[in-house]
Amino acid sequence: MAELRLDALSFAYPGADAATLSDLTLTVERGEAHALLGSSGAGKTTLLNLLSGLLPAAPGQIYFDGRDVGARAPYERRVTQVFQFPVLYDAMTVAENLAFPMRKLPVAERQGRLRDVAERLGLGAALERKPRQLTLVEKQLTAIGKALLRPDVALVLLDEPLTAAEPEHKWRLRQTLKALQHELEATMIYVTHDQTEALTFADRVSVLHEGRILQTGTPAALVADPAHEHVGYFVGSPGMNLLDGEIRGGALMIGAQTIGVQAAGTLESGALDAGAATGSDQARADVAESERVALSDGNCRIGFRPEWARITQEVPAETSLSVEVLRTRTLATDRGEAVGLVTAVFQGREIVTRQPLGRLAPGRAALQLDADRLCLFRDGRRLKRAG
Amino acid sequence: MQDNRAWLGVLPVLLIVAFSAVIPLMTVVNYSVQDIFDVNTRIFVGFDWYRETLRDPRFLDALLRQLAFSGTVLAIEIPLGILVARAIPREGRWVGLVLVLLAVPLLIPWNVVGTIWQLFARPDIGLFGQAVNDLGIAFNYTAEPLHAWITLVMMDVWHWTSLVALLAFSGLTAIPLPCYQAALMDGASPWQVFRHVELPRLVPVLVIAVLLRLMDSFMIYTEPFVLTGGGPGNSTTFLSQYLTTMAVGQFDLGPAAAFSVLYFLVVLLLCWLFYTSVLARDGEVGS
Repeated sequence: MAELRLDALSFAYPGADAATLSDLTLTVERGEAHALLGSSGAGKTTLLNLLSGLLPAAPGQIYFDGRDVGARAPYERRVTQVFQFPVLYDAMTVAENLAFPMRKLPVAERQGRLRDVAERLGLGAALERKPRQLTLVEKQLTAIGKALLRPDVALVLLDEPLTAAEPEHKWRLRQTLKALQHELEATMIYVTHDQTEALTFADRVSVLHEGRILQTGTPAALVADPAHEHVGYFVGSPGMNLLDGEIRGGALMIGAQTIGVQAAGTLESGALDAGAATGSDQARADVAESERVALSDGNCRIGFRPEWARITQEVPAETSLSVEVLRTRTLATDRGEAVGLVTAVFQGREIVTRQPLGRLAPGRAALQLDADRLCLFRDGRRLKRAG
Repeated sequence: MQDNRAWLGVLPVLLIVAFSAVIPLMTVVNYSVQDIFDVNTRIFVGFDWYRETLRDPRFLDALLRQLAFSGTVLAIEIPLGILVARAIPREGRWVGLVLVLLAVPLLIPWNVVGTIWQLFARPDIGLFGQAVNDLGIAFNYTAEPLHAWITLVMMDVWHWTSLVALLAFSGLTAIPLPCYQAALMDGASPWQVFRHVELPRLVPVLVIAVLLRLMDSFMIYTEPFVLTGGGPGNSTTFLSQYLTTMAVGQFDLGPAAAFSVLYFLVVLLLCWLFYTSVLARDGEVGS
């Protein structure tokens, strides 16, 4: 297994107006499970094809363990890939499929590795069967086994490998994959548009949007400390609430109202960093401060996660932001108290909070924001903390 | 009380099937068990005509020739068709043109195909025949049975390989790109890509190609009739031509009818054997 490093990698398809990927820089540690999260069209598959060498070298460099592999053919890069649907050799048995990438190894060694991985994937009983006799999940497990069994593999790519699996199998497949990744210390790049898959599978996640990496960080960091507006609402379920606001004379305003924390007051710009008061050290370390825009007066977007705010009808609405509760949805109960999602309207925009529901009913209510945790964005980018 | 009027809806299909298949076939079966002298004089002879046909050395020779011919052209056209299909570009501006050019032989009337090759292979004025003779090989398909066979096989290959190629091409284009990409990453050789990626996925279209070519070549009539007329001697007289001689030339309706039924059964049997053998291979892996 190898360490992967991308240096200013870009790619444009011939004849295309815009670049599919621009200026990607990323390091994936040896043995790391790394997820590329992005909606369709973000350039995920293009990036995979560049890594595997199916697409020709583009401007920028790809290094495996410090060696530039841009000019190498796919086989020489020692990359294996699991595709969206199971890609197997149809006329071969499961055992033959698994053995194919190891065909240059001595037979005894081949058998040992094969049995080992097949056992862990739960394919022991299916070894002599042909792909047509397998369920979709078994086929994909075989494809995963085949990708992991290549003796000298540097990098394992997974292109939305669970797309074809039924929801009830996804969890099991993901667990199996994660366990194997950990045991074999495989460097894996896992491409998906499903944030649950990305956040539960990966050690670190890169959010890809319109051909750029917006943020790379641990799942916790992406949730607690999004570096970009898109990361804020794309990651998290439901995503971050975004309100239009303004910074005027160091105070954060929504319309004519100055945002306060429970007790009303003026916000000092120094209090506007989200990660500082809460989020772990790890979370903060993953956000490149240099990417952030300096805080200055002007329009901005105010982001807060559903669990960072609270809607209440117990305090007078005048002391905070006035909202109209539309509906509540119970998700769970915590010590007999219902916890769930509250959907409300603020200035024509729907917002969602996750909180104890209490006796909340549709109608007028107050929105209380935790000013320490607000994320401020301008032109999509996170505003830098002052000082 | 069930509504039986729905059966009326089936009636048109029954009529079409009756007129197109059952009635003509039964007429032939009817002829095959009688000796007919004139409209009023007919004698029931049972399976006599069948026995006679099966003992007829000319029938058996024609059958053997037919099997040899079908086997030869299949053995050439199927692999050659796959090779041609693999050489066709998958995308780009030339694909359409290549496909149209390939389809041209399929659009030529069969007797014209015979005529084209009859001229093309003539040792005196034909481009091919003369060229071969100029190379010092005494080539004359009107005199040498082997030369007649070579010419016939070449003509059939020229005429029908395109069909196999077009079918195989459609099968190849249906193979998802990731199958090739995975093989590339596995470092599979070109032969392994063909053997393990392409061939297994081509099986369904190849079954159709083999069945079509088997049936068609087994019933070939027009082209050899125009090209060699069944000669020299009887060396290129296939089943259909012998049958025509018998039925139309000699007006032996009884034996010709028995012949026809046997001919039909042989074609049916061959197709069934081939198809079930493919299914059996599938069944071993399918479930």
